Amino acid sequence: MIGYIRLELIRTVRDGGYVIFGIASPVVMYLVLSNLALAPGDRRSGAVVTMVSMAAYGALGCAFNNGTGIGEDRSAGWLRQLRLTPLAPVHVVAGKVVTGAVGVVPSIAAVLLTGVLVNHVALSAGQWLSIVGLLWAGTVPFALLGLGNGYALTGQTAAMANIAAFLGLSIVGGLWVPTAGFPGWLRAIAEWTPSNSYAALSWDVASGAAPGARPIAILCGWLAVFGLYALYAYRRAGRTA
Amino acid sequence: MEIDAVSLTAVTKSFGAVRAVDGLTLAIPQGRTVALLGPNGAGKSTTIGMLLGLVPPDSGKVALFGLDPAQAVRQSLAGAMPQEGGLIPRVTVGELLTFVAGTYRAPLPLGQVLALAQMTGMDNRRVDRLSGGQAQRVRFAMALVGDPGLIVLDEPTAALDVEARRQFWSGMRTLAGRGKTILFSTHYLDEADEQADRVVVIDRGRVVADGTSAEIKKVVALTTVSLTASGEVSWLGGLPGVRRLEVRGDRVQLRSDDPDATVMALARAGAVRDLEVTPADLEDAFVALTAKETV
Repeated sequence: MIGYIRLELIRTVRDGGYVIFGIASPVVMYLVLSNLALAPGDRRSGAVVTMVSMAAYGALGCAFNNGTGIGEDRSAGWLRQLRLTPLAPVHVVAGKVVTGAVGVVPSIAAVLLTGVLVNHVALSAGQWLSIVGLLWAGTVPFALLGLGNGYALTGQTAAMANIAAFLGLSIVGGLWVPTAGFPGWLRAIAEWTPSNSYAALSWDVASGAAPGARPIAILCGWLAVFGLYALYAYRRAGRTA
Repeated sequence: MEIDAVSLTAVTKSFGAVRAVDGLTLAIPQGRTVALLGPNGAGKSTTIGMLLGLVPPDSGKVALFGLDPAQAVRQSLAGAMPQEGGLIPRVTVGELLTFVAGTYRAPLPLGQVLALAQMTGMDNRRVDRLSGGQAQRVRFAMALVGDPGLIVLDEPTAALDVEARRQFWSGMRTLAGRGKTILFSTHYLDEADEQADRVVVIDRGRVVADGTSAEIKKVVALTTVSLTASGEVSWLGGLPGVRRLEVRGDRVQLRSDDPDATVMALARAGAVRDLEVTPADLEDAFVALTAKETV
């Protein structure tokens, strides 16, 4: 399985979609948005809020991109080829999940480092650790949605579905522009999205509070939904592959 | 007695109303090179899918080395090259083959695999930038890199030109010489004839002939004895061995299942003129076998 993870990581690093959506785009957007000061409060706290938003945005991009990869692999006959090697199917799935989880890290790190180095964001060590941990672990529901699309749809369609879900959830969830500026009806929707709940956990920590119970509950609810979807899509793909 | 490398017993598989494989039984002892020959849609790929554990049969039993196919694959006993696909972008030939090798218990060294697949020096090339023929060689290399006892190839030369096919079969013969069991499907008759020591002809999901290519030709195809004759020739149709008589201008073609007897009788009758005896080819046999039920 180590060999499979190594191979998948090599492919991830050479993937233009990963570099653009996962690393370059969130860092550039962070630099632009934090200097426009769209976030509420003073410039300093704006830099913190936007840093969390863009790290969440980048992590989502990586998580969905990983799911798109599964769709491509299926179309290319790669998953069938893997079934013709001694590698166990459960190791293939586990390897893909680990690759996705590892792939998220550079994206989160790139934005947080930009926050420290360029915008001089200062947080306590405990806050940094909590934010990295929450941003990392919180990608699981999105990774499952991405994988579900990858298994349920063919290469091109899976890519489109994942980009749509990624951008839709990022925008409606208030990762680009804070929901404070949304009209009332849209804000009501935003507060139920997994992306808003996901980022809210780290926004809370960054502002010195403990993560709220409500976003945790909502994110866990979506985790269950996307988990069931991924399981269903995986089983269905297994029958047709 | 050694366990058969491949064993299918009364295997059936339908897709909707189409019965792709219909009660197929086949046993391949270890160390043989066997061709699965049949027209398009005969059930070759479905049969191969079932014996590799990719397609579950509706009924019947499939075993590789006495094991469930998926289990045999897990135990490094088989390697396969499906008809298409299996290559991924953004990796080099060397990275891909090193990964596949790592999943097997006792793989071949990379250099040896590259040599067998005629790819020496190409391990740094990106898989997504190869020509069709080169990609086919990488797929072949993936099937053999684990050094499994059984190698299954579904239409391995379909995308290759003549020279690439020649090189491919030279690599295959090296493997066969190392005692590997090789099963390949093809619709090229000459490949089955030249490369396999046993040919299994399947049509409409069933085995219609099974033996060496010489045996198959002998059973179903007729030798052609042709000669020049004029006037009344219908008596030639009554000679020993003659099953069919065709007249083309002043040439008479006698299709015979006992050409020796036919020629002796012609000699006794003093009718030998411009005599030509053409042995049956596998194509005649193939046509005879697979056309039987379409009428």
